[in-house]
Amino acid sequence: MADRTEFLESIRHRTRRGRYKPTKSPDSVWTPGIDRPEREEIEDPQARFIEELEALGGHGKRTENLEEAREYVLDLAREREAELLVRWDVEYLDELGADEPLRDAGVEVALWHDVPDLRQIAGRADIGLSTATWAIAETGSLVLEHGPGRGRSVTLLPPTYVAILPADRVLQTVPEAIRQYAGGTLPANVCFHTGPSRSGDIEMSLVVGMHGPGDVHVVLVG
Amino acid sequence: MRAALFIPCYVDQINPEVGVSVVRVLRRLGVEVIYPQGQTCCGQPAFNSGFFDEAREIGRRFLDVFEGERFDYIVCPSGSCTTMVSHYYPFIFEDLPEERERSEVLAGRVREFSDFVVNVMGVRDFGVHREGKAVFHCGCHQRRELGVLEEPRELLSNVEGLDLLDWENEELCCGFGGMFSVKMPDVSTAMADEKIAALEKSGADTVISCDSSCLMHLGGRLRRTGHDTRVLHLAQILDSDGR
Amino acid sequence: METSKPARRRDTEDHRREGLESKVEGFNERGRKAVRDRKLHDSISLFTNKTLTGRNAQLRAHPDAPELRERAYRTKQETMANLDYYLSQMADAIEERGGNVFFADDGEDVVRYVGDLARRRGAKILTKSKSMATEEIELNRRLEENYDDLELEIVETDLGEWIAQLAGETPSHIVGPILHMNKERITEILSGVSDEDLPPDVESLAAFARKRLREKFVNADIGITGANFGVAETGTICTVTNEGNARLVTSVPPVHVVVMGIEKVIPKFEDLSTFVQLLSRSGTGQKITVYTNFITGPRGEGELDGAEEFHLILMDNGRSKLLGTEYEEALYCIRCGSCLNVCPVYRQTGGHAYGSTYSGPIGAVITPLLKGDREAKDLPYASSLCGACTETCPVGIPLHDLLLKLRNRQVEEGLAGRAESLMFKGFERTMKSPAAYKAGAKVGRLAQKPLVKDGSIRGAPGMRGWTDFRELAPLAEKSFRELWKEGI
Repeated sequence: MADRTEFLESIRHRTRRGRYKPTKSPDSVWTPGIDRPEREEIEDPQARFIEELEALGGHGKRTENLEEAREYVLDLAREREAELLVRWDVEYLDELGADEPLRDAGVEVALWHDVPDLRQIAGRADIGLSTATWAIAETGSLVLEHGPGRGRSVTLLPPTYVAILPADRVLQTVPEAIRQYAGGTLPANVCFHTGPSRSGDIEMSLVVGMHGPGDVHVVLVG
Repeated sequence: MRAALFIPCYVDQINPEVGVSVVRVLRRLGVEVIYPQGQTCCGQPAFNSGFFDEAREIGRRFLDVFEGERFDYIVCPSGSCTTMVSHYYPFIFEDLPEERERSEVLAGRVREFSDFVVNVMGVRDFGVHREGKAVFHCGCHQRRELGVLEEPRELLSNVEGLDLLDWENEELCCGFGGMFSVKMPDVSTAMADEKIAALEKSGADTVISCDSSCLMHLGGRLRRTGHDTRVLHLAQILDSDGR
Repeated sequence: METSKPARRRDTEDHRREGLESKVEGFNERGRKAVRDRKLHDSISLFTNKTLTGRNAQLRAHPDAPELRERAYRTKQETMANLDYYLSQMADAIEERGGNVFFADDGEDVVRYVGDLARRRGAKILTKSKSMATEEIELNRRLEENYDDLELEIVETDLGEWIAQLAGETPSHIVGPILHMNKERITEILSGVSDEDLPPDVESLAAFARKRLREKFVNADIGITGANFGVAETGTICTVTNEGNARLVTSVPPVHVVVMGIEKVIPKFEDLSTFVQLLSRSGTGQKITVYTNFITGPRGEGELDGAEEFHLILMDNGRSKLLGTEYEEALYCIRCGSCLNVCPVYRQTGGHAYGSTYSGPIGAVITPLLKGDREAKDLPYASSLCGACTETCPVGIPLHDLLLKLRNRQVEEGLAGRAESLMFKGFERTMKSPAAYKAGAKVGRLAQKPLVKDGSIRGAPGMRGWTDFRELAPLAEKSFRELWKEGI
């Protein structure tokens, strides 16, 4: 077994510097000067987010207010004939006020807090519901920060997953999203979640919902 | 303009007609052409096989021969052999300051044939005529180390009667790779066969390149598999009759 | 590998042995078989062409692609120059978050650490997310063998990797582990572990795998992942997947073990911006993968899922000896697999022909570097040196130059064949003297006379590596130098 000090000592080394060699072929993607688009500000990040998400097979919707978002969740639960929905235990989703109407519609609602069999509940649930800290316009991604009340399994185990977040949380690009965490302390788990889970391992044929949800919805509110 | 010819050994011995065409084309542009008699080979076969000491010996000789001449540019009808001199001499002499400096000086003056014609002489149209449907195969060194990809195409596009066709995955190596072609003959041949399949699909009757070595391999496989595709060096096309 | 073979075995089957061809062993032999397998060829073409089309489109559309590549190279270079510092910083950050860090010199260390951990936890089921580092050290096999009393069930959870595991095969591509298998073969494999014959359609096969693997996910005692990147500044492990398996493996079981090669560390969280953008575009042609997951230590206070115990194993296994050498750039690799996709040799042979964990150009480079030249003698020669790998590499590793250096290293170590060494000595002598060169050509012209027919040579002694496949162009009656003398 290696001792830390010894291990690190053994890799402290003399330096020999290679030189970066740019590509020369005029048809290489790395060669400077080939036609490429200018970097541009995304003018309508919400619209772009929805466009990107739908291109990946997800569903995006912008609503005027939380009431409409609530209707969206109710409709979805009806369409999917859901029996059990599990959601993050966060204030924003309390405000959404979907729990009672869902229960009235015969859908059991479980909150992600300390109850026995939590894992089984998430595993049985038909729908997972969460909010997101950010969304990313250029890729259609959600930025999920996990923590107390904000379980990872909620976004992962149920076959249908819905995220609801304020429309002003849509960032432009992936680098911009990464910068939000630069230099700071990170939650134990942050995930950039982009569209339905997928696999192309069998003959490059697209399989949706491989291990995570295949049915992904994002509602931007406001 | 005075150009010293560097005629690769296999062109010298197997395809001398390519060298002859180069001379005629350059002279037509008013270039004074010299041919340093002491030249043999650039040493690339040894280098590519990992025999750097042997390649250095041959490289030193190359430096001696060409340093003894007066010229503006060295012109070579092979992207691969040009690369050996321009890129890989400085590479093998990296730790030998004297030779490294000499090779870097020479590296700045050696030009592949189409690069010289287009970028030094500024000529893009030779006003020649040649019937045929052709694909152009760019040797890998020429494409990636030299970055000379558009020049030969431009020259060919100005040949009257010549239909320059696209072909599938044209950037793929033909499978020659020097000693690779005999060390791993099955894989090398499978690579050639993929090129030939793309060639057939394109409907071309001629394959043109700036590297006779690629053509030796592709041509050899074409003939073995019963194709009568014409196999020509760019210089031979530019050496056609006027329109 | 070769030491166990009887010396000087006479091989009557292969008449080309005496020439300059690579020995009909290793890559040459496996490649020879592979190029005749049309199904394999079709499978490889499907994967590589599709992936490259996506990759090219994504990178052409990126405004800063050339700058990203250069930044990636420089970041890696800076990291390698101070690797001890960054690893130490990363270890501190993780320990501060309540995670455990272990420094492993080699695979043996890793196996022992994970095995002892499994014993301590009383673990039965270990779920794994695809990790080349654990493939490299054959973690699964060694755990099962060395800790057989624990009766561990180690389950790969990436769809392709799981199918490969069931078939007892290794992945043939860094990104597409079973691209070499067609649907029929996969149906056969999965039906073998099912109670019923599965229909040969992708949806049914995936549904079966999903169900079977879900049981493993939720019952696993330990989750094992690799790391696409490890951030020194924050101690964050970044994994990228599309299926979501890495996220399940790290979210559900109570213990998470990361096996990370020491070269995967990058200095700052913000550096992920460069690498995540490059990796997804180069590897699969996506702007971003479905799950780009950042794990920093064990679950936090009040959290109800995520691992309670977090272990990072920093594995050397031969990497540190490349630091500061002319081969250091090989450590910059981010395992995107695009050098495999563009490699015309890989495209003909597939990954298994390389006979090593890592295949394609990067495999031909790092296998001899990590395992030694004798263990992978043929790999540096499994390339036409076309340079497509170097051109494609998103972090600027000069792969084909490294292959050249490795060939030279073999020659200097005396590993080159006798016939070849003699030939190049002769070659040097000939090319250093115009007189010898001319004399050689003269002899050649005389010798070829009886062989030339219709302007080409169909067979020639000592040249069968060429003439068994291609016509050989004969020497011209007059060389260029003679024509020049006569006047052009």
